[in-house]
Amino acid sequence: MSMLLTKRLMRSLWRTKLRLSAVVLMIAVGVFAGISFGAYGTAATMMYDDIYSDEEGRINLADVVVENPGGVWNGTTSEEMCQAIRDEWTNPELELEFCEPRLTLEGLMFNLLDNGSEDMVHAVWYGIDEGKVDRVWMPEHDCCSGRLAAAADEIVLDAHAASGMGIDVGESISIAAGAGRMNLTVVGIGLYSNHLYFAEEGALYPASAGTFATGYLSASGMEVLANRSAGSSNIILIDVKGTPSYDLQSTDAVEGVELNAVKAQILEIMSEESDDPVSVYDQSGIYSVELLRADAEGANKMYPYVTGMIAVVAGITIFLSLQRLIQSQAKEIAVLRTLGVPRRSIMPGYILAPMIIGSVGVAIGTALGVWVGAPAMLGMYEDIMGIPIIGYSVPPSLVILNVVIVMVIVLLSGIRPAWQAAQMQPLEVMRGQHEVRLSSRRIQRWTARMPATVGLTIRSSIRKPVRLAFTFLAVGLSMLILGSMLLMMGSIEDMFGTERETWDARVNAPEGGEDEIIQWAQSKGVSYELLLQYPGSPAKSDSRLLSVNGLDQFSSTDSPTGMIHVKLKEGSFPVADATVTQVLIDEGSSEFLGWNIGDQPTMMFGSISKKVEVTGITKGEIFRTVYLHRSDLSAEVGLNATSVLLDLPNGVEVDSELGAISEGITLMADQDKAFDEIMDKQIQFLIAVEGLGILMAFGVLFNTLVMNLAERDSELATLRVLGAPINRLGAMIFGEHLAIGVIGGALACIFSVLGTQLLIDSMVQWAFFFTVQASLGSLAIIGGTVVLMSISLTPFGMWRIKKMDLVDSVKEFSN
Amino acid sequence: MIRSYRNFGHMMVEAMLSMKGIERYYEMSSETVKALDGINLEIEEGERVLLLGPSGSGKTTLLNCIAALDNPTAGEYSFNGNEVPRGHAEKMTSFRRDNIGYVFQFYNLLQDLTALENILLIQELSGGRDGGRARELLRLVGLEGEVDRFPAEMSGGQQQRVAIARSLAKAPKLLLGDELTGNLDSKTTAMVMEVLIKACESENITTVMVTHDESLSKYATRVVRLDSGIVTSDEKMGL
Repeated sequence: MSMLLTKRLMRSLWRTKLRLSAVVLMIAVGVFAGISFGAYGTAATMMYDDIYSDEEGRINLADVVVENPGGVWNGTTSEEMCQAIRDEWTNPELELEFCEPRLTLEGLMFNLLDNGSEDMVHAVWYGIDEGKVDRVWMPEHDCCSGRLAAAADEIVLDAHAASGMGIDVGESISIAAGAGRMNLTVVGIGLYSNHLYFAEEGALYPASAGTFATGYLSASGMEVLANRSAGSSNIILIDVKGTPSYDLQSTDAVEGVELNAVKAQILEIMSEESDDPVSVYDQSGIYSVELLRADAEGANKMYPYVTGMIAVVAGITIFLSLQRLIQSQAKEIAVLRTLGVPRRSIMPGYILAPMIIGSVGVAIGTALGVWVGAPAMLGMYEDIMGIPIIGYSVPPSLVILNVVIVMVIVLLSGIRPAWQAAQMQPLEVMRGQHEVRLSSRRIQRWTARMPATVGLTIRSSIRKPVRLAFTFLAVGLSMLILGSMLLMMGSIEDMFGTERETWDARVNAPEGGEDEIIQWAQSKGVSYELLLQYPGSPAKSDSRLLSVNGLDQFSSTDSPTGMIHVKLKEGSFPVADATVTQVLIDEGSSEFLGWNIGDQPTMMFGSISKKVEVTGITKGEIFRTVYLHRSDLSAEVGLNATSVLLDLPNGVEVDSELGAISEGITLMADQDKAFDEIMDKQIQFLIAVEGLGILMAFGVLFNTLVMNLAERDSELATLRVLGAPINRLGAMIFGEHLAIGVIGGALACIFSVLGTQLLIDSMVQWAFFFTVQASLGSLAIIGGTVVLMSISLTPFGMWRIKKMDLVDSVKEFSN
Repeated sequence: MIRSYRNFGHMMVEAMLSMKGIERYYEMSSETVKALDGINLEIEEGERVLLLGPSGSGKTTLLNCIAALDNPTAGEYSFNGNEVPRGHAEKMTSFRRDNIGYVFQFYNLLQDLTALENILLIQELSGGRDGGRARELLRLVGLEGEVDRFPAEMSGGQQQRVAIARSLAKAPKLLLGDELTGNLDSKTTAMVMEVLIKACESENITTVMVTHDESLSKYATRVVRLDSGIVTSDEKMGL
């Protein structure tokens, strides 16, 4: 390798400082984004693996959960069931370690506000005794303090709720769970497995501060609160020694089978011991746990692609820049080759150049990623997920992986131009045959009838098809970041729009307690509807959870009449009391289960097996959902209602009287607030990511358009010498940039839609079904952004022409 | 308005182009290079002037000043009695558009356009497309059969003839050529020069050509020699 040749190449590159900086910036952004997203993913994985482990000071998440969704077992039944499980445990490979009955109920927390008034906050209360399984987690972190509840009048308040309401250890709080109020002393602030992601059951976004609370009482305290006998429970936690494998409900793959036999046996035992329908599930059925796992998995899946995608964009820019450089140096290379310089002396410099550029970008990106990006992403994780990250540092393997991905792409992007440079035939270069151009004759025929200026604009735009194709690819990839965010946010807003549910308050009724709530509603002149929600599954051998909703009346979002509306994709509403119970299923269930209109599958309501007929398919549900008439569901599960939906007229509000007879009240206003808050947070993130995408797309377009202009300097100078006014040349450049912008914008839209669909397809699973709604507005923003960026470079092109040295530039025609 | 007249016996003829004391200096790192050092030159309508001189004599700099591509450091320059703009790129471009045709040594044809389109483009950019005149000009330079050919499909002589036709597209008053045969062999040079003279006579266009090729003197009506930035001789040629 000749040092002089390399030095000459470096000087040539240095002359294109602006473009060089753009490439370095893109590489830096690729590494920065990779390390930042990767830090999120690896931290989430570490947290997931660490928090739930059975080590001292950790949660020791139960391996199997038995849930009684419709009632409460008394102390004797609870103990008999645990005993039966112990006695009949036959699995030779897995050893039962603990069986712990627990009582958990929804209720209210009466939060005293600064103005002296009392706010009723929807809450979930847990009775946790010594807690050998699924313990309250109180890490050494600012979030948590105090000790576990020991006496009946003590409580550990969840850290999210405590910080949201400004409550500290030692304070007194008032709570209820359908059996009157109770005053408790907060003795600790901690975290719990079911509420690490602090969202209400079934909600995808976290609750707004001060609108949701969870607390962990002693078992005796919980019994007093619920007015239940000692030992009452509605959940049984089963812990197996070690870490047995289990199959994730949300995937088609089989991740593990060890717990399958255990769950089947427990279901059998439960059916023998109790008449109540029960749900038996493993860790993949615990919503908060599964959400954290899916989040960690998604982040880990995503970051190599993000890094790779940005690095590919940077690689394309390097590739195009080097091609242009080689083209502009073709005659010099030809002269060197004519003078006998061997190919092996030409090639290394063109490989070394991108590696040096890449190294600079990687160094900047790594520094920014480790010291700025990763802490910011972890801060966002703590902020949105509400989980303290303890003992995490960016792993060297993450940095190495990102650096390797980027440097390999950078190296690959330099090999082809370097090879082209080395392969140049001096004679071909001298004859000007080394440039690849699209068949001029064919395009000439297409554009022959157009004005020469328009024809030239079109021909100039597409004269370098390889460059143009790569530019469009790079712009498309860059805009994929922006586009996918826009389309996903648009779809989320569309799915979560509150027009699907028009109640003001959802009041959870204790078993048989709905009548009292109805009386309260009638006395206040409040319209109401009953709702019966029950856990279901697609089949006895299939434990994936279905949310089964028994509605009083069916109405569509197009003509809403009730308080819950469905978006009917196809089919018709169910008819009550049909020979075969009629149901609606969501499109996710239809897709995963292969159930279609007219099918009569047998599904499970808790542990009750029932043949149903699918009459319609709904859209817009994130979770797998079944709708049927409440009367039909009630007949099967023996419950009348689980909630009463209220439409509050002006001047009527929920009050403590209602609070005392309910097991929790959820206000639509709180849900709206939580949704708005998460959207605001997401929008900040969106703006940052959008900015990144736009910056990259702008960099790519800038690079290409400047190259296009640069290689036409002599042509433009000639036209100037021949008297072409700057405004006419400006119009030509504008036309060219507009054409590139329009094509690039259209491709960016296609990339965004396809890319987002691929992204969604990779994320879609049983517990999370999502479709992209490519709205015209979103597509207009994506395409319009590219067009705008492209044409905004016209003034730069005109400025470049204006400051051009015409005398020197026209001479370059000979080069 | 600056009027410049030359005395032709009993009548005063107004010069088309008049330069008085034109200087063009370049500041180099340690010295001032005097590319033009007080040029006085008047050219009348219909003349075919050849600027001859060795390399570095200042002939191309003078041509660039005539074309308003370059700004003289000092001196007066008028064209048809009007001061030629300097220091203002758009006014200088406008001057060229209205008055000047230019033929380059390396033809400078746009490779993406055919012969005909190269001419039409200049017409469009100058304000008026006239396909008939474009074809007429190609016929005038003997390329009526090559209208749809791309530059890469033509010989150097053919390309230069297209460039001549292009330079005439907007009927300039003055046609400038910078070593316009410098890239051609002698046979092609003769053909191109004959085409140029024929075309300029047909269009009544004054020409100023820079060359170092003495043999081109036979095509000129006047030969101006330069050396070291000054005019060393100015002679009328008997044709």
